[in-house]
Amino acid sequence: MNAARLLNRLGFYAAVAAPFVVVAVAEHPFFVQIAIGVAVSAILALAWDILSRTGQVSLGHAAFFGMGGYGSALLTPVFGPVLGWAAGILLCGAVAVLLGAVTLRLRRLYFTIATLSFSLSIQVFILVTPDLTGGSTGIMPPVIAGGSPPHQLLFITACLVVAATVSDIFLGPRFRPAFFMIRNNPHLAAASGVPVTRLKILAFAVSGMVAGLAGACYAGLYGYVIPEDVFTTNWNVLPLAVTILGGMDTTLGPIIGAVALRALEEVARHFVGGVGYQVVYGAVIILFIVGMPVGLVGFARGLVRRRRKPAAEADTVKARLAS
Amino acid sequence: MSGAVMDEIVMDGLRIDGCTVAFGGLRAIDNVTLDIPGGTITALIGPNGSGKSTFVNMVSGQIPPVAGRVVLKGQPITGLRPDRIVHRGLARTYQVPKVPKELTIQEVISVPLLYARSDRPLPSGVRSAADLAHYCGLRPAVTTRCGQLSVSDLRRLEIARALACRPEVLLLDESMAGLSLEDTDQVIGLVREIHVLGVTVVVIEHVMRIIARLCQHAIVLNQGRLLAEGAPQRVLTDPDVREAYLGKGFTL
Repeated sequence: MNAARLLNRLGFYAAVAAPFVVVAVAEHPFFVQIAIGVAVSAILALAWDILSRTGQVSLGHAAFFGMGGYGSALLTPVFGPVLGWAAGILLCGAVAVLLGAVTLRLRRLYFTIATLSFSLSIQVFILVTPDLTGGSTGIMPPVIAGGSPPHQLLFITACLVVAATVSDIFLGPRFRPAFFMIRNNPHLAAASGVPVTRLKILAFAVSGMVAGLAGACYAGLYGYVIPEDVFTTNWNVLPLAVTILGGMDTTLGPIIGAVALRALEEVARHFVGGVGYQVVYGAVIILFIVGMPVGLVGFARGLVRRRRKPAAEADTVKARLAS
Repeated sequence: MSGAVMDEIVMDGLRIDGCTVAFGGLRAIDNVTLDIPGGTITALIGPNGSGKSTFVNMVSGQIPPVAGRVVLKGQPITGLRPDRIVHRGLARTYQVPKVPKELTIQEVISVPLLYARSDRPLPSGVRSAADLAHYCGLRPAVTTRCGQLSVSDLRRLEIARALACRPEVLLLDESMAGLSLEDTDQVIGLVREIHVLGVTVVVIEHVMRIIARLCQHAIVLNQGRLLAEGAPQRVLTDPDVREAYLGKGFTL
């Protein structure tokens, strides 16, 4: 990577982290909680997007999210907090490799159904193994930063920057063209010397680990997690909604999408009680796939590009999601 | 020709030994044995549905044969994954190249440059994806997205992508089909240049004019079987070949 690009990315990470840091320093309790939620969603959505760049659309990332939380809880007593987290995240990567190998041959919708089934079966596994995982009574992961929300926000912001860096590596010259070729035409990728299977599993492993990082962050907020907190359809659909809203195939998209979706949630919460605010997920997915398949970031980029020359690439993403 | 000389030629090129590709009951390639001599431009011809594209898919590993051996430069490559076959030095183009629309010319060519591990050299003076695009006669800027390219530019891009694999044997699947006369002449010139670099080229074509001008060797498939092989002039005037193309009783 040349110096100019490196500087550009460092500036980008600083710009991403700055608003979160400002909120943490201001210590406004409501906004600190909102920002923590946004950062966790953004990390999970980045994980989802990395996988989707190879054409693998997952509806099962709650599995890795939950395993990150449970892994950090179960392994911290064995390895200590730092290595426990690392081991929990590596466990997510290992499971992702296995799931990726099993689902390799599944095309599009069948792949998506398989990931959804996987996340449901992981929840059942937790419920039927109370001796190991606490079952339905839940588990106590290590609390981040002694339970101080502003410090937790700073820590999770650092995790978000790590996730953004990983996402950028997989948008770099080594992976972006190869991933898009695998997604669009795996035969052409293989005929160009790309080890298609290996890269798909690599994307799955990295995606699983980043999702596990998000889950460990989430589980570490209060130091107490039950299966229903993490292994829910909510966490399966959220990364999809966030990324489609913000823009796929980018690092900025999932971050902007997490902010925008949270804002929509708060507006919806104002009008609908209980968990009714979750209606925005479905609404966002449908409206954006139909009306703005490139998402907010893609739309903004399109505006900039259109000043120079007309672009017609929205169809690609639309076609992919529609199939 | 003595046996030793024959072996040497075969060692250089591509040998297909008793290969069969079956889709259910249909034998798209039916017990084909043939040699593509190293250092030649060989034409692979045959009527629609004769198995030409299946032949390319078989040799490149996309659809492995159910029987027989594919031997590249004396090394068997049967059953290897397509990307491994690329590493061994065999590249192919696609007749209808479906490249990701959002990728640029530069990005598409960069994929084999990065992944097709090879110590074989690129054409002299060619160091980057941009050089290779230029070498293959792609006029649009390398930052142009593939969604905006014309058919003839997509064909050139496909040749550039295959060349970026740095192959010793290159299979071109109807790279000139549907091109204007001027574009066809340019691609013919390009194929000649690639051949001069020492690459063995197999050209899958329909147009006899091209074959007669370009190739030293010709292979004819019909209904998945080898119908004729030899010098293009002789093969093209073969009564069996004429019958396969035109039906009995017709003459050119």
